[in-house]
Amino acid sequence: MLTLFRNLFAPPRHMILLVIAAWLGLTLAEKRAKQYGLSKDDLNNLIFYGLIAFVIGGRLSFVLQNITTFIKSPAGIISINPDIFDPIGATAVALIIALVYGQRLSLSLWPTLDALTPFFAILAIGIGLSHLAAGTAFGKETSLPWGIDLWNAARHPTQIYETLASLLIFGLLWFQKQSPRPGIHFLTFAAFTAASHLFIEAFRGDTSTLIFNSLNPNQVIAWVALALCFLALESRITQLKKAG
Amino acid sequence: MFKPFRELLIVRFDKTATTEKRIHFYFTSNSRQLTQNTMSQSQRITLYILILMAGAAWISISAGTSTVGTTSAPQAGFTAPDFTLKTPTGEEYTLSELKGNAVLVNLWATWCPPCRAEMPAIQKMYDEYKDQGFIVLGVNMTYQDDPFTVTPFVEEHGLTFPILLDEIGNVGTAYQIRSLPSSYFINRLGVITEVVIGGPMSEALLRTRIEEALK
Repeated sequence: MLTLFRNLFAPPRHMILLVIAAWLGLTLAEKRAKQYGLSKDDLNNLIFYGLIAFVIGGRLSFVLQNITTFIKSPAGIISINPDIFDPIGATAVALIIALVYGQRLSLSLWPTLDALTPFFAILAIGIGLSHLAAGTAFGKETSLPWGIDLWNAARHPTQIYETLASLLIFGLLWFQKQSPRPGIHFLTFAAFTAASHLFIEAFRGDTSTLIFNSLNPNQVIAWVALALCFLALESRITQLKKAG
Repeated sequence: MFKPFRELLIVRFDKTATTEKRIHFYFTSNSRQLTQNTMSQSQRITLYILILMAGAAWISISAGTSTVGTTSAPQAGFTAPDFTLKTPTGEEYTLSELKGNAVLVNLWATWCPPCRAEMPAIQKMYDEYKDQGFIVLGVNMTYQDDPFTVTPFVEEHGLTFPILLDEIGNVGTAYQIRSLPSSYFINRLGVITEVVIGGPMSEALLRTRIEEALK
Protein backbone atom coordinates (compact mmCIF):
# COMPACT_ATOMS: atom_id res chain seq x y z
CA MET A 1 0.00 0.00 0.00
CA LEU A 2 2.76 2.40 1.06
CA THR A 3 4.89 1.38 -1.94
CA LEU A 4 1.92 1.90 -4.25
CA PHE A 5 1.32 5.37 -2.79
CA ARG A 6 5.00 6.28 -3.07
CA ASN A 7 5.17 5.06 -6.67
CA LEU A 8 1.96 6.86 -7.61
CA PHE A 9 3.15 10.18 -6.18
CA ALA A 10 6.89 9.77 -6.80
CA PRO A 11 8.65 13.14 -7.26
CA PRO A 12 7.88 15.42 -9.02
CA ARG A 13 4.26 14.13 -8.87
CA HIS A 14 4.23 14.61 -5.06
CA MET A 15 3.46 18.28 -5.82
CA ILE A 16 -0.03 17.13 -6.90
CA LEU A 17 -0.76 16.34 -3.24
CA LEU A 18 0.01 19.94 -2.28
CA VAL A 19 -2.23 21.27 -5.04
CA ILE A 20 -5.11 18.98 -3.95
CA ALA A 21 -4.61 20.03 -0.31
CA ALA A 22 -4.62 23.73 -1.25
CA TRP A 23 -7.83 23.30 -3.27
CA LEU A 24 -9.58 21.30 -0.53
CA GLY A 25 -8.41 23.73 2.16
CA LEU A 26 -9.68 26.68 0.15
CA THR A 27 -13.08 24.98 -0.31
CA LEU A 28 -13.42 24.37 3.44
CA ALA A 29 -12.22 27.88 4.31
CA GLU A 30 -14.83 29.32 1.94
CA LYS A 31 -17.53 27.31 3.74
CA ARG A 32 -16.57 28.89 7.06
CA ALA A 33 -15.92 32.42 5.73
CA LYS A 34 -19.43 33.70 6.42
CA GLN A 35 -19.29 32.63 10.07
CA TYR A 36 -16.35 35.01 10.54
CA GLY A 37 -18.05 37.90 8.77
CA LEU A 38 -15.98 37.56 5.59
CA SER A 39 -17.13 37.26 2.01
CA LYS A 40 -16.21 34.11 0.08
CA ASP A 41 -14.75 36.19 -2.75
CA ASP A 42 -12.48 38.21 -0.47
CA LEU A 43 -11.11 35.05 1.11
CA ASN A 44 -10.71 33.42 -2.28
CA ASN A 45 -8.82 36.41 -3.67
CA LEU A 46 -6.64 36.66 -0.57
CA ILE A 47 -5.56 33.01 -0.92
CA PHE A 48 -5.15 33.33 -4.69
CA TYR A 49 -2.85 36.37 -4.43
CA GLY A 50 -1.03 34.74 -1.52
CA LEU A 51 -0.35 31.62 -3.59
CA ILE A 52 0.80 33.63 -6.63
CA ALA A 53 3.12 35.62 -4.34
CA PHE A 54 4.38 32.33 -2.84
CA VAL A 55 5.35 30.95 -6.25
CA ILE A 56 6.91 34.17 -7.60
CA GLY A 57 8.49 35.10 -4.26
CA GLY A 58 10.10 31.66 -3.90
CA ARG A 59 11.69 31.96 -7.33
CA LEU A 60 12.83 35.57 -6.83
CA SER A 61 14.29 34.83 -3.41
CA PHE A 62 16.29 31.90 -4.85
CA VAL A 63 17.51 34.08 -7.74
CA LEU A 64 18.59 36.89 -5.40
CA GLN A 65 20.48 34.45 -3.19
CA ASN A 66 22.34 33.08 -6.25
CA ILE A 67 22.53 36.31 -8.24
CA THR A 68 26.02 35.69 -9.69
CA THR A 69 24.83 32.35 -11.12
CA PHE A 70 21.78 33.90 -12.71
CA ILE A 71 23.82 36.75 -14.20
CA LYS A 72 25.77 34.05 -16.08
CA SER A 73 22.56 32.15 -17.05
CA PRO A 74 19.68 34.68 -16.99
CA ALA A 75 17.30 32.33 -18.86
CA GLY A 76 17.27 30.19 -15.71
CA ILE A 77 15.06 32.78 -13.98
CA ILE A 78 12.08 31.67 -16.06
CA SER A 79 13.00 27.98 -16.44
CA ILE A 80 10.42 25.39 -15.42
CA ASN A 81 12.61 23.72 -12.75
CA PRO A 82 10.63 23.58 -9.49
CA ASP A 83 13.96 23.19 -7.66
CA ILE A 84 14.79 26.86 -8.32
CA PHE A 85 12.78 27.82 -5.26
CA ASP A 86 13.35 29.10 -1.73
CA PRO A 87 10.42 28.11 0.54
CA ILE A 88 11.36 30.54 3.35
CA GLY A 89 11.52 33.50 0.97
CA ALA A 90 8.28 32.30 -0.65
CA THR A 91 6.47 32.25 2.71
CA ALA A 92 7.77 35.71 3.63
CA VAL A 93 6.67 37.25 0.31
CA ALA A 94 3.25 35.50 0.47
CA LEU A 95 2.69 36.85 4.00
CA ILE A 96 3.62 40.40 3.00
CA ILE A 97 1.35 40.35 -0.07
CA ALA A 98 -1.54 38.79 1.90
CA LEU A 99 -1.15 41.46 4.62
CA VAL A 100 -1.07 44.32 2.09
CA TYR A 101 -4.02 42.89 0.13
CA GLY A 102 -5.97 42.23 3.34
CA GLN A 103 -5.42 45.83 4.43
CA ARG A 104 -6.65 47.11 1.05
CA LEU A 105 -9.83 45.10 1.52
CA SER A 106 -10.06 46.33 5.14
CA LEU A 107 -10.17 42.76 6.44
CA SER A 108 -9.77 42.37 10.20
CA LEU A 109 -6.67 40.32 10.99
CA TRP A 110 -7.97 37.87 13.59
CA PRO A 111 -11.30 36.86 11.98
CA THR A 112 -9.44 36.44 8.66
CA LEU A 113 -6.84 34.18 10.28
CA ASP A 114 -9.66 32.21 11.95
CA ALA A 115 -11.38 31.76 8.58
CA LEU A 116 -8.09 30.68 6.97
CA THR A 117 -7.39 28.06 9.65
CA PRO A 118 -9.03 25.13 7.73
CA PHE A 119 -6.85 26.09 4.72
CA PHE A 120 -3.67 25.96 6.83
CA ALA A 121 -4.77 22.74 8.57
CA ILE A 122 -5.49 20.87 5.32
CA LEU A 123 -2.26 22.20 3.80
CA ALA A 124 -0.37 20.74 6.77
CA ILE A 125 -1.93 17.32 6.00
CA GLY A 126 -0.91 17.71 2.33
CA ILE A 127 2.66 18.58 3.33
CA GLY A 128 2.86 15.42 5.48
CA LEU A 129 1.60 13.28 2.60
CA SER A 130 3.96 14.89 0.10
CA HIS A 131 6.87 14.20 2.48
CA LEU A 132 5.76 10.56 2.61
CA ALA A 133 5.55 10.33 -1.19
CA ALA A 134 8.96 11.96 -1.72
CA GLY A 135 10.65 10.14 1.17
CA THR A 136 11.82 13.46 2.63
CA ALA A 137 11.52 14.50 6.30
CA PHE A 138 12.37 10.86 7.09
CA GLY A 139 12.78 9.32 10.53
CA LYS A 140 15.63 7.86 12.56
CA GLU A 141 16.35 4.16 12.35
CA THR A 142 14.15 2.05 14.62
CA SER A 143 13.40 -1.57 15.50
CA LEU A 144 9.79 -0.75 16.40
CA PRO A 145 7.22 -2.93 14.57
CA TRP A 146 5.65 0.06 12.79
CA GLY A 147 8.97 1.20 11.30
CA ILE A 148 8.91 1.67 7.51
CA ASP A 149 11.60 0.56 5.09
CA LEU A 150 13.06 3.76 3.70
CA TRP A 151 16.54 4.72 2.45
CA ASN A 152 17.98 1.28 3.19
CA ALA A 153 16.81 1.06 6.81
CA ALA A 154 13.71 0.53 8.96
CA ARG A 155 12.82 4.05 10.09
CA HIS A 156 10.31 5.90 12.24
CA PRO A 157 7.44 6.82 9.87
CA THR A 158 7.77 10.50 10.80
CA GLN A 159 5.83 11.53 7.68
CA ILE A 160 2.91 9.38 8.87
CA TYR A 161 3.21 10.80 12.43
CA GLU A 162 3.16 14.28 10.87
CA THR A 163 0.10 13.50 8.71
CA LEU A 164 -1.83 11.89 11.58
CA ALA A 165 -1.06 14.79 13.93
CA SER A 166 -2.23 17.29 11.28
CA LEU A 167 -5.41 15.22 10.71
CA LEU A 168 -6.11 15.13 14.43
CA ILE A 169 -5.58 18.90 14.77
CA PHE A 170 -7.84 19.54 11.79
CA GLY A 171 -10.54 17.22 13.23
CA LEU A 172 -10.37 18.85 16.66
CA LEU A 173 -10.71 22.35 15.25
CA TRP A 174 -13.23 21.58 12.52
CA PHE A 175 -15.72 19.92 14.85
CA GLN A 176 -15.10 22.30 17.76
CA LYS A 177 -17.81 24.88 18.37
CA GLN A 178 -16.77 28.21 16.87
CA SER A 179 -15.11 30.40 19.50
CA PRO A 180 -16.84 33.75 19.95
CA ARG A 181 -13.43 35.33 20.54
CA PRO A 182 -11.62 36.32 17.28
CA GLY A 183 -8.11 34.91 16.93
CA ILE A 184 -8.49 32.07 19.43
CA HIS A 185 -9.31 29.49 16.73
CA PHE A 186 -6.19 30.31 14.68
CA LEU A 187 -3.89 30.60 17.71
CA THR A 188 -5.13 27.24 19.05
CA PHE A 189 -4.31 25.67 15.66
CA ALA A 190 -0.86 27.31 15.66
CA ALA A 191 -0.14 26.15 19.24
CA PHE A 192 -1.22 22.55 18.49
CA THR A 193 0.86 22.51 15.31
CA ALA A 194 3.95 23.85 17.10
CA ALA A 195 3.48 21.31 19.92
CA SER A 196 3.10 18.41 17.46
CA HIS A 197 6.30 19.44 15.66
CA LEU A 198 8.13 19.80 18.97
CA PHE A 199 7.21 16.17 19.72
CA ILE A 200 7.62 14.59 16.25
CA GLU A 201 10.89 16.32 15.29
CA ALA A 202 12.61 14.18 17.94
CA PHE A 203 12.13 11.16 15.67
CA ARG A 204 13.43 12.85 12.49
CA GLY A 205 16.61 11.46 11.02
CA ASP A 206 17.35 14.11 8.41
CA THR A 207 18.60 16.87 10.68
CA SER A 208 22.28 17.37 9.93
CA THR A 209 23.02 20.64 11.73
CA LEU A 210 22.62 20.45 15.49
CA ILE A 211 22.77 23.23 18.08
CA PHE A 212 25.61 22.60 20.62
CA ASN A 213 26.18 19.32 18.77
CA SER A 214 23.07 17.72 20.25
CA LEU A 215 19.91 19.89 20.11
CA ASN A 216 17.60 19.63 17.12
CA PRO A 217 17.14 23.20 15.76
CA ASN A 218 13.64 22.38 14.44
CA GLN A 219 12.54 21.40 17.95
CA VAL A 220 13.98 24.62 19.36
CA ILE A 221 12.12 26.66 16.68
CA ALA A 222 8.88 24.75 17.48
CA TRP A 223 9.35 25.46 21.21
CA VAL A 224 9.84 29.19 20.55
CA ALA A 225 6.77 29.17 18.24
CA LEU A 226 4.73 27.46 20.97
CA ALA A 227 5.83 30.06 23.54
CA LEU A 228 4.87 32.86 21.10
CA CYS A 229 1.46 31.22 20.55
CA PHE A 230 0.85 31.15 24.31
CA LEU A 231 1.87 34.82 24.60
CA ALA A 232 -0.45 35.77 21.73
CA LEU A 233 -3.31 33.68 23.18
CA GLU A 234 -2.96 35.33 26.57
CA SER A 235 -2.73 38.79 25.02
CA ARG A 236 -5.90 38.12 22.91
CA ILE A 237 -7.86 36.84 25.91
CA THR A 238 -6.84 39.86 28.02
CA GLN A 239 -7.67 42.32 25.20
CA LEU A 240 -11.06 40.72 24.55
CA LYS A 241 -11.93 40.70 28.26
CA LYS A 242 -11.04 44.39 28.53
CA ALA A 243 -13.18 45.12 25.47
CA GLY A 244 -16.04 43.31 27.24
CA MET B 1 -25.48 24.89 39.76
CA PHE B 2 -28.25 22.87 38.07
CA LYS B 3 -30.06 25.85 36.61
CA PRO B 4 -28.14 26.03 33.28
CA PHE B 5 -28.50 22.26 32.85
CA ARG B 6 -32.25 22.46 33.47
CA GLU B 7 -32.52 25.34 30.96
CA LEU B 8 -30.57 23.31 28.43
CA LEU B 9 -32.93 20.36 28.78
CA ILE B 10 -36.00 22.58 28.57
CA VAL B 11 -34.83 24.28 25.38
CA ARG B 12 -33.48 21.07 23.86
CA PHE B 13 -36.67 19.09 24.33
CA ASP B 14 -39.12 21.94 23.94
CA LYS B 15 -40.45 21.27 20.47
CA THR B 16 -42.35 24.54 20.49
CA ALA B 17 -39.22 26.62 21.13
CA THR B 18 -38.65 29.09 18.33
CA THR B 19 -35.35 29.37 16.48
CA GLU B 20 -34.99 32.79 18.06
CA LYS B 21 -35.26 31.27 21.52
CA ARG B 22 -32.72 28.57 20.65
CA ILE B 23 -30.25 31.17 19.29
CA HIS B 24 -30.78 33.35 22.38
CA PHE B 25 -30.10 30.34 24.61
CA TYR B 26 -26.98 29.43 22.61
CA PHE B 27 -25.48 32.88 23.04
CA THR B 28 -26.42 33.31 26.67
CA SER B 29 -25.03 29.87 27.55
CA ASN B 30 -21.90 30.68 25.57
CA SER B 31 -21.32 33.93 27.41
CA ARG B 32 -22.00 32.13 30.68
CA GLN B 33 -19.32 29.65 29.69
CA LEU B 34 -16.95 32.53 29.06
CA THR B 35 -17.51 34.08 32.44
CA GLN B 36 -17.94 30.97 34.59
CA ASN B 37 -16.20 27.98 33.06
CA THR B 38 -12.96 29.41 31.59
CA MET B 39 -9.71 29.20 33.50
CA SER B 40 -8.40 32.15 35.43
CA GLN B 41 -5.34 33.98 34.11
CA SER B 42 -3.06 32.45 36.76
CA GLN B 43 -4.33 28.94 35.91
CA ARG B 44 -3.68 29.53 32.22
CA ILE B 45 -0.18 30.89 32.80
CA THR B 46 0.64 27.91 35.05
CA LEU B 47 -0.56 25.58 32.26
CA TYR B 48 1.55 27.40 29.64
CA ILE B 49 4.65 27.20 31.85
CA LEU B 50 4.08 23.49 32.55
CA ILE B 51 3.68 22.72 28.83
CA LEU B 52 6.79 24.74 27.92
CA MET B 53 8.79 23.03 30.68
CA ALA B 54 7.65 19.62 29.40
CA GLY B 55 8.65 20.72 25.87
CA ALA B 56 12.11 21.81 27.05
CA ALA B 57 12.52 18.48 28.89
CA TRP B 58 11.51 16.60 25.72
CA ILE B 59 14.09 18.53 23.65
CA SER B 60 16.75 17.65 26.20
CA ILE B 61 15.69 13.96 26.43
CA SER B 62 15.61 13.56 22.65
CA ALA B 63 18.93 15.35 22.07
CA GLY B 64 21.50 13.23 20.31
CA THR B 65 23.94 13.04 17.50
CA SER B 66 22.95 13.34 13.87
CA THR B 67 22.51 10.06 11.98
CA VAL B 68 22.68 11.65 8.54
CA GLY B 69 25.49 10.41 6.34
CA THR B 70 26.38 7.37 8.44
CA THR B 71 24.81 4.97 5.96
CA SER B 72 24.57 4.81 2.21
CA ALA B 73 21.32 5.81 0.47
CA PRO B 74 20.23 7.79 -2.62
CA GLN B 75 19.08 10.80 -0.59
CA ALA B 76 20.61 14.15 0.32
CA GLY B 77 22.78 13.85 3.42
CA PHE B 78 23.74 10.20 2.87
CA THR B 79 26.87 8.67 1.37
CA ALA B 80 26.15 8.00 -2.32
CA PRO B 81 25.68 4.27 -3.05
CA ASP B 82 28.84 2.98 -4.68
CA PHE B 83 28.97 1.30 -8.09
CA THR B 84 31.38 0.17 -10.76
CA LEU B 85 30.30 0.38 -14.41
CA LYS B 86 31.89 0.32 -17.83
CA THR B 87 31.72 2.78 -20.72
CA PRO B 88 30.75 1.49 -24.22
CA THR B 89 34.50 1.28 -24.95
CA GLY B 90 35.14 -0.91 -21.87
CA GLU B 91 36.72 1.71 -19.57
CA GLU B 92 35.77 1.07 -15.91
CA TYR B 93 34.66 3.74 -13.42
CA THR B 94 34.07 3.27 -9.66
CA LEU B 95 32.22 6.09 -7.89
CA SER B 96 34.09 5.73 -4.56
CA GLU B 97 37.43 6.16 -6.37
CA LEU B 98 36.36 9.66 -7.40
CA LYS B 99 36.32 10.95 -3.80
CA GLY B 100 37.95 14.38 -3.60
CA ASN B 101 35.97 15.51 -6.68
CA ALA B 102 32.43 16.83 -6.91
CA VAL B 103 30.40 14.34 -8.96
CA LEU B 104 27.11 14.55 -10.81
CA VAL B 105 25.55 11.12 -11.32
CA ASN B 106 22.95 11.62 -14.04
CA LEU B 107 20.66 8.64 -14.73
CA TRP B 108 19.17 8.81 -18.21
CA ALA B 109 17.81 6.94 -21.25
CA THR B 110 17.80 7.80 -24.95
CA TRP B 111 13.97 7.57 -25.18
CA CYS B 112 13.45 10.13 -22.37
CA PRO B 113 12.78 13.66 -23.81
CA PRO B 114 13.84 15.68 -20.72
CA CYS B 115 17.06 13.59 -20.53
CA ARG B 116 17.85 14.61 -24.10
CA ALA B 117 16.91 18.23 -23.41
CA GLU B 118 19.25 18.65 -20.43
CA MET B 119 22.35 17.05 -22.00
CA PRO B 120 23.68 20.25 -23.68
CA ALA B 121 23.49 22.15 -20.36
CA ILE B 122 25.24 19.28 -18.51
CA GLN B 123 27.99 19.19 -21.16
CA LYS B 124 28.43 22.97 -20.93
CA MET B 125 28.73 22.85 -17.13
CA TYR B 126 31.18 19.92 -17.35
CA ASP B 127 33.40 21.97 -19.70
CA GLU B 128 33.20 24.98 -17.39
CA TYR B 129 33.84 23.26 -14.04
CA LYS B 130 35.95 20.14 -14.83
CA ASP B 131 39.19 21.99 -14.03
CA GLN B 132 37.87 22.69 -10.52
CA GLY B 133 37.40 18.97 -9.85
CA PHE B 134 33.91 18.39 -11.22
CA ILE B 135 33.07 15.09 -12.92
CA VAL B 136 29.87 13.95 -14.60
CA LEU B 137 28.95 10.27 -14.75
CA GLY B 138 26.15 9.86 -17.26
CA VAL B 139 24.67 6.49 -16.35
CA ASN B 140 22.53 5.12 -19.17
CA MET B 141 19.72 2.86 -17.91
CA THR B 142 20.73 0.30 -20.55
CA TYR B 143 18.47 -2.38 -19.07
CA GLN B 144 15.51 -0.13 -19.94
CA ASP B 145 17.02 1.21 -23.17
CA ASP B 146 18.21 0.09 -26.58
CA PRO B 147 22.00 -0.34 -26.17
CA PHE B 148 22.60 0.33 -29.88
CA THR B 149 21.19 3.86 -29.59
CA VAL B 150 23.61 4.96 -26.85
CA THR B 151 26.75 5.63 -28.90
CA PRO B 152 24.88 7.52 -31.70
CA PHE B 153 23.18 9.60 -28.98
CA VAL B 154 26.52 10.48 -27.36
CA GLU B 155 28.01 11.44 -30.75
CA GLU B 156 24.96 13.46 -31.73
CA HIS B 157 25.15 15.55 -28.52
CA GLY B 158 28.98 15.75 -28.52
CA LEU B 159 29.21 14.43 -24.93
CA THR B 160 32.76 14.23 -23.60
CA PHE B 161 32.07 13.14 -20.01
CA PRO B 162 32.05 9.41 -19.16
CA ILE B 163 28.90 7.57 -20.27
CA LEU B 164 28.39 4.36 -18.29
CA LEU B 165 26.13 1.45 -19.11
CA ASP B 166 23.89 0.00 -16.40
CA GLU B 167 23.17 -3.25 -18.21
CA ILE B 168 21.58 -5.26 -15.41
CA GLY B 169 20.00 -2.43 -13.43
CA ASN B 170 22.32 -2.48 -10.38
CA VAL B 171 22.58 1.31 -10.24
CA GLY B 172 18.87 1.77 -11.00
CA THR B 173 18.08 -0.48 -8.02
CA ALA B 174 20.68 1.04 -5.68
CA TYR B 175 19.42 4.56 -6.48
CA GLN B 176 15.77 3.40 -6.18
CA ILE B 177 15.01 5.14 -9.44
CA ARG B 178 11.36 6.08 -9.99
CA SER B 179 11.62 8.81 -12.66
CA LEU B 180 14.03 9.74 -15.45
CA PRO B 181 16.16 11.78 -15.52
CA SER B 182 17.38 11.61 -11.93
CA SER B 183 20.45 13.59 -10.90
CA TYR B 184 22.56 13.21 -7.75
CA PHE B 185 25.04 15.93 -6.81
CA ILE B 186 27.82 14.47 -4.65
CA ASN B 187 30.39 16.54 -2.73
CA ARG B 188 34.12 15.88 -2.41
CA LEU B 189 33.48 13.64 0.65
CA GLY B 190 31.16 11.35 -1.28
CA VAL B 191 27.98 12.66 0.40
CA ILE B 192 24.92 13.52 -1.70
CA THR B 193 24.21 17.24 -1.38
CA GLU B 194 21.18 17.45 -3.64
CA VAL B 195 18.84 15.22 -5.62
CA VAL B 196 16.96 16.54 -8.64
CA ILE B 197 14.22 14.24 -9.89
CA GLY B 198 12.85 15.03 -13.33
CA GLY B 199 14.07 17.60 -15.79
CA PRO B 200 15.32 19.19 -17.90
CA MET B 201 17.68 20.98 -15.50
CA SER B 202 18.55 24.52 -16.51
CA GLU B 203 22.10 25.85 -16.57
CA ALA B 204 21.33 28.06 -13.57
CA LEU B 205 20.10 25.14 -11.48
CA LEU B 206 23.13 23.07 -12.47
CA ARG B 207 25.46 25.93 -11.58
CA THR B 208 23.99 26.44 -8.08
CA ARG B 209 24.08 22.71 -7.30
CA ILE B 210 27.61 22.19 -8.70
CA GLU B 211 29.02 25.17 -6.79
CA GLU B 212 27.46 23.83 -3.59
CA ALA B 213 28.99 20.36 -4.20
CA LEU B 214 32.41 21.89 -4.96
CA LYS B 215 32.55 23.78 -1.62
